Amino acid sequence: MTSPLDDLARRLPGLRLLTEPGDLEHYGRDWTRRWTPAPLAIALPATPEEVQGIVRWANEHRVAVVPSGGRTGLSGGAVAAHGELVLSLERMNRVLGFDPADRTLTVQPGMPLEAVQAAARGHGLVYPVDFAARGSCSIGGNIATNAGGIRVIRYGNTREWIAGLKVVAGNGELLELNRGLVKNSSGYDFRQLMIGSEGTLGIVVEATLKLADPPPPAQTMLLALPDMDAVLAVFGLFRERLALQAFEFFTDVALRHVLAHGAQRALDGDHPYYVVAEFDAPDEVARDAALAVLGEGMEQGWIVDGTIAQSEAQAAALWRLREGITESLAPHKPYKNDVSVRIGAVPAFLHAMQALLAREYPQFEVVWFGHIGDGNLHINVLKPADLADADFIAQCEQVTKRLAATLKEHGGSISAEHGIGLVKRPYLDSTRSAAEIALMRGVRRVFDPNGILNPGKLFADD
Amino acid sequence: MKILVGYKRVVDYNVRIQVKPDGTGVVTDGVKLSANPFDDIALEEALRLREKGAADEVVVVGIGPADLTAHLRNGLAMGANRAIHVVTDEAVQPLTAARTLLKLVEKEQPGLVILGKQAIDDDANQTGQMLAALWDRPQATFASKVEIADGKAAVTREVDAGLEVIEAELPAVITTDLRLNEPRFIKLPDIMKAKSKPIDAIEFASLGVESHDHLKTTHYAAPPKRSKGVMVKDAAELVAALKQKGLL
Ligand SMILES: Cc1cc2nc3c(=O)[nH]c(=O)nc-3n(C[C@H](O)[C@H](O)[C@H](O)COP(=O)(O)OP(=O)(O)OC[C@H]3O[C@@H](n4cnc5c(N)ncnc54)[C@H](O)[C@@H]3O)c2cc1C
Repeated sequence: MTSPLDDLARRLPGLRLLTEPGDLEHYGRDWTRRWTPAPLAIALPATPEEVQGIVRWANEHRVAVVPSGGRTGLSGGAVAAHGELVLSLERMNRVLGFDPADRTLTVQPGMPLEAVQAAARGHGLVYPVDFAARGSCSIGGNIATNAGGIRVIRYGNTREWIAGLKVVAGNGELLELNRGLVKNSSGYDFRQLMIGSEGTLGIVVEATLKLADPPPPAQTMLLALPDMDAVLAVFGLFRERLALQAFEFFTDVALRHVLAHGAQRALDGDHPYYVVAEFDAPDEVARDAALAVLGEGMEQGWIVDGTIAQSEAQAAALWRLREGITESLAPHKPYKNDVSVRIGAVPAFLHAMQALLAREYPQFEVVWFGHIGDGNLHINVLKPADLADADFIAQCEQVTKRLAATLKEHGGSISAEHGIGLVKRPYLDSTRSAAEIALMRGVRRVFDPNGILNPGKLFADD
Repeated sequence: MKILVGYKRVVDYNVRIQVKPDGTGVVTDGVKLSANPFDDIALEEALRLREKGAADEVVVVGIGPADLTAHLRNGLAMGANRAIHVVTDEAVQPLTAARTLLKLVEKEQPGLVILGKQAIDDDANQTGQMLAALWDRPQATFASKVEIADGKAAVTREVDAGLEVIEAELPAVITTDLRLNEPRFIKLPDIMKAKSKPIDAIEFASLGVESHDHLKTTHYAAPPKRSKGVMVKDAAELVAALKQKGLL
C-alpha cells in the first residue's frame, strides 16, 4: 500500500515536498512558541492547480492541511503540531498584473507585504495596510487574519482593500470571488467571508488589491504623557484637529525593552506613557496648525515632552520605538493579549483592565502598547525567568478568563487583529454568541465538508 | 566665538527621486523636503561646540526662496541662536553659494564656518573648498571629529589609509562627514521657542554677488532600468551564454 504522501508525489509529480526534520520544524510553527511542530510534510505548490490538487488529495486521504504564509502569526493559526500537511504559499510570490483604470494590483498570496507595498509604489500608488512584520508576513496571511496595523485609523483593515480573491475552498473547488468589482449586489459576498477566516474555509491563491493615492507628506512625532487619561485626551484633541495617519501608544516598560534591544533614545527623562503619531503636513499652514494643537496639549498638561522628526531617517527612528516592541519582547516569551473595544468604550474598559491586571498580575511584568486610536490594546505579560513555561501559561490563562469576562461586559473582542487560531480558541465565546458560533461551524461545513482545512483553529472540531 | 552653519534644504534622503516627465528637473511638489543630512550634522556639531563652551553663538544660513523660512525655523528649533535667509528664487550653484557665504562671513566675522561636505541634491562637494579659497583661510574637509583649543581646530578626517588628523588655524572652514555625530531630536518646547528667534532676510541681489551660472544642466533622466536576468539550466548553458557574449 502506498502512503498518502507517496500518492501525493505521484499525483503531482512537479510538486516540491519537504520532509527533512529541520524543514518540518521551520514550517511547522509561527511566532508563537507554545506547540512543538510535528507536520507530516511541507508542500510548496507553485500554481493554483497544484493547490487544488493538494486539497483534493487531502479530502480523499482525510489529511489535515495547514495553509501557511510568512508564519509571523501571533495566535498559532499556522502551527502544525498534529501530523498535518503544511501548504506553504511562499513560492507563489509574484505580481500578476496592475490595472491602471481599476487601480488594482493582482498578486499571488505568498508575496511579502513589503513587496506588495513596493510594487504599488512602482505605479505611483500605495497599498496602505502596514505593520512591523511587513518584511516577513504574506499578503495571503494578512487576508486570512484581516490584518490591521498602524494605519487602520486612516485606512481601515485589510478587509477594505480586497477587490477580488481566487480561493481553493476546502471542498477543492476553485472560486473566483467578486472579480475586482466595485459594485456587486448579487447575494452573499464570499470574498468578505474568506477575509479573516484563518485558513479554515479556503486557501487564497490570488488576490486583487485596491490601491490608494499616496498620502501627503506627513510629520511624525513622539510625545511623552503623564497618564492614560492624557493619552485619550490627546487622541481626542488630535482626531478633531489634525488629519491623523497613525496614533500609537506604549508605556515606559515597553520603551525600556526596545531601547535595550538597540533602538535610539529620542527623549530624555522617564515618562509613564508615550505616543507616536503621524499627521498630514502638506504645507506650512498645516504645520503651524499642528504646533498650535501641540501647544494646547502642553498647556493642559497632557503632553509633558515631545519631538517632531526633521527627516525621514528621524521618523524611522521614532517608529522603531513603537514597531520594535514585539521583537524586543520575544526573548521574554510574552503571553499576548490583543483586545479591542469600541473607541467610545476605551476609557471605561481601560480603567477596569488596569485594576484587573494590578490585582491579578502583581508578580509579572506587564507591557502595554498598541493601536489605541482603533480601540486596540496589546497587553503582553512577560514570563519571569525562573517560572516554568507551562506554569506561566496556566497562570496567565486564569487571568485571561477574567479579562474575557471584562471584555464581554464592555462589548469588546478577544482578538482585535491577530486572529483566534489556537491561542484564543478557549475564549471565542466571550466575543461571539453561541448562536453565532453554531453558524460559523455550519459555514465551515459548507466550504469544507470533511474539515481538512486548518482543523482545531478558531474552534475545536466537533 | 561665532559659528556660521550652512543649512540647505533638499529632497529627503529617503524619498525615491522621480524625474519630471519633460526632463527639466526632479519632482519636488508634494515631496518631503528636509535639511541636507550633512548640514544637520554641521549644525549639531556647532551646537555641541557651543555647549562645550568653545563657541557662544551659532548662526544658520540658508539661500533660497521665501518659503525657506520654515526650514530655517527647524534649525532655530534645533538650537541655533539666529538665522540668516538670503532670499532668491534662483537655484544657486556652488561658486555662487561660496561667494554669497563670503559676503556673510565678511559681515559676521565668524571664528568658524561649518558646512556639509556636500549636498545630496547635486553632490557637488565644492562649496566649502571654494569658500576657504575665496576667504583665504584654512579648510578641513570631511571631518569625522572636531576639537577646538587655543585658536586652532584639530580635525580628524577619514582617508583611504585610515584616520588623518590635521590642525587648522582659526578662522577656518570645516566640512562634515557622516560619522561626525548623530543629529539630535528637536524638542517640542524648543519648536515653540524658535518662533520668536530672529531670522534676518537679505535680498540676494543686494549682496552684489556675481552669479552667472557656470554650469548648465541640459536635461535629467532616470537611471536606465536593469534588464531582467536570464535563468540558465546548467553550467554548460552558462558557459555557452558567456561565450556568446564574448565574455569567455
Ligand atoms: C513584529 C510583529 C508585528 C505584528 N504586528 C501586527 C499588527 O500590527 N497588526 C496585525 O494585524 N498583525 C500583526 N502581527 C501578526 C501577523 O504578522 C499578522 O497576523 C499577519 O497577517 C500574518 O501573516 P503571515 O503571512 O505571517 O501568516 P501566517 O502566520 O503564516 O498565517 C496566519 C493565518 O493565516 C492562514 N493563512 C496564511 N496564508 C493563507 C492563505 N494564502 N490562504 C488561507 N489562509 C492562509 C494560516 O493558516 C493562519 O491561520 C505582527 C507580527 C509580528 C511578528
